[in-house]
Amino acid sequence: MALKDEDETYLLLLLADSNLPTGSFIASAGLESYLTHAFKSTISFVDDSISSYAKSALPFVSDAHRVVSRYHLQESEAEILALLTALDNLYESMTLNHVARRASRLQGVALLTLYSKAFSRRDREASMSSLVTEYKLSIRLEDTPGHLPICWGILTAALGLTLSRAQYLHVFLHARSLLSASVRLNDLGPYNAQSVLLHTARPIISAAVAKSEAAHTGILVELDDEEQDEKGPATTWPLGEILATRHDLQHSRIFNS
Amino acid sequence: MSTSIPKLEAGCGRIASFLHGNSAVLSELSSTYPLKLISARVSSRPDISIVYILSYGGGLVGGDRTHLNVKVNHQSSLVLLSQGSTKVFTTRLQQKHINSPLPPIELNTDAGATIQKMDFTVSSKGALYLLPDPVTCFRSASYKQLQTFHLAQDATLVLLDWITSGRKSRGEEWSFSRYYSLNEIFLDGFTSRPVRLAKDGLLLEEEGAETNGHSSKRSLAQRLAPYSCYANVVLYGPQIQDVVRELTAAYEKISVMKLTAPPDLLWSLSPITCHGGGRGTIVRVAGKETELVKDWLREALKGLAQVVGVDVYRRAFAQ
Repeated sequence: MALKDEDETYLLLLLADSNLPTGSFIASAGLESYLTHAFKSTISFVDDSISSYAKSALPFVSDAHRVVSRYHLQESEAEILALLTALDNLYESMTLNHVARRASRLQGVALLTLYSKAFSRRDREASMSSLVTEYKLSIRLEDTPGHLPICWGILTAALGLTLSRAQYLHVFLHARSLLSASVRLNDLGPYNAQSVLLHTARPIISAAVAKSEAAHTGILVELDDEEQDEKGPATTWPLGEILATRHDLQHSRIFNS
Repeated sequence: MSTSIPKLEAGCGRIASFLHGNSAVLSELSSTYPLKLISARVSSRPDISIVYILSYGGGLVGGDRTHLNVKVNHQSSLVLLSQGSTKVFTTRLQQKHINSPLPPIELNTDAGATIQKMDFTVSSKGALYLLPDPVTCFRSASYKQLQTFHLAQDATLVLLDWITSGRKSRGEEWSFSRYYSLNEIFLDGFTSRPVRLAKDGLLLEEEGAETNGHSSKRSLAQRLAPYSCYANVVLYGPQIQDVVRELTAAYEKISVMKLTAPPDLLWSLSPITCHGGGRGTIVRVAGKETELVKDWLREALKGLAQVVGVDVYRRAFAQ
């Protein structure tokens, strides 16, 4: 179900709307903790955070998108759900930071709720609606964690957005959410944040997406030892992991992560 | 001491530990160049096997591949150590020059990555303490370490995996070209199939020259500053619950007010749970000096002295 350019642009605008109820406004992805620990450069944080997040999350966005996109072809709902659960569990076991896990789950389920409550058209896409509803149910039953990258892949595939758009937009939204957090933290001014997003973040996002656009998780197609590092998900910024995990240790904080 | 198995390929090794009565027995201990294994014992704890992995200490060069298979059988305890940090060079030629005052000559930096693969199986009530010194990658080196752990539900694991920024005395500060470490831990017995408790992949690479045009200008050293040593510790199983409890309590007591400068050492702790109910703990540490991290680990894991005995513990965290 390829979309026309015009339709795709409309979808992109819609999904990029900062009023979208996705819960991202309570996440700083470690920025608040980074500043509390006296690391000063928000631009550096944005750079390192985007690179590491894209390398660890894009393979999951991509595989979830691939799985849901082929739902139309031959596979049954049960097979699709099993693959999505396998992806979700793998992401859980690779996200070794309870603060990031918590934030990712909150935002993940919010995306699926957004799809069912606002975007799905049960009359025309009954099978897709049912798939998302079923997956949401298994998240509620705690049969699967419901992480953000997996749910983003599901949502964008269900809407018919191409994989490359879905990847790019996901990393862009991560970057934008960091900059909004920075403004709320009185770190960057609102004009400066926009300037950074337009000029500084753009090449960083492009490079991060380009590096991981062909990456995958190893769930759909096996990853052998030789390609784990090149093609598989990985953390690239261990300092960011430590700081993000220490979020909850802050004496006072305004964000949830 | 070591039985040679004719079919062992270059760089391969095998270790199998048993508990025979109250004595630890290594029913298998074999290796081929460049991997070398040496067993040791402390008289105070005859029930614990200690094996030194000497590839860790001797140094590896580009293109070296090692593959170690370790089996910790029912109720036995195995401590794996190294002697000095694992040094990773780029080429054999460069290795010859490490003790000379001349800077290393890099004739052939395309010798390929050094790859260390290790597979561990720990049976019921068994315990594996993997406590090597940190990996040190020299300038331009490329290193890959793939470790897989299969643990019985009631097995115990302490996994330490750490890296330094290089030879600081030679001005090396995160100046290797690539480092990748993967630790994947599976648990048996929680569900009908093994469940993955954790898959921790860390990729540190210098991206400056590689992605031309798109390249972000931040170097590896900038990303990891001001720290020059990073450590991960994964803890699982009944024998180290006291250690986990103490560390968790210490962690939860920390309250961070707005700082004026990044601290010399930072650490974090996260519980890990997997579907099926397995629970572990991961601790991450960063320090401005390797010694700071080492001192911190020695203190944080001092509860291990109760588990493996003071003498074994001292060997692991020698000053």
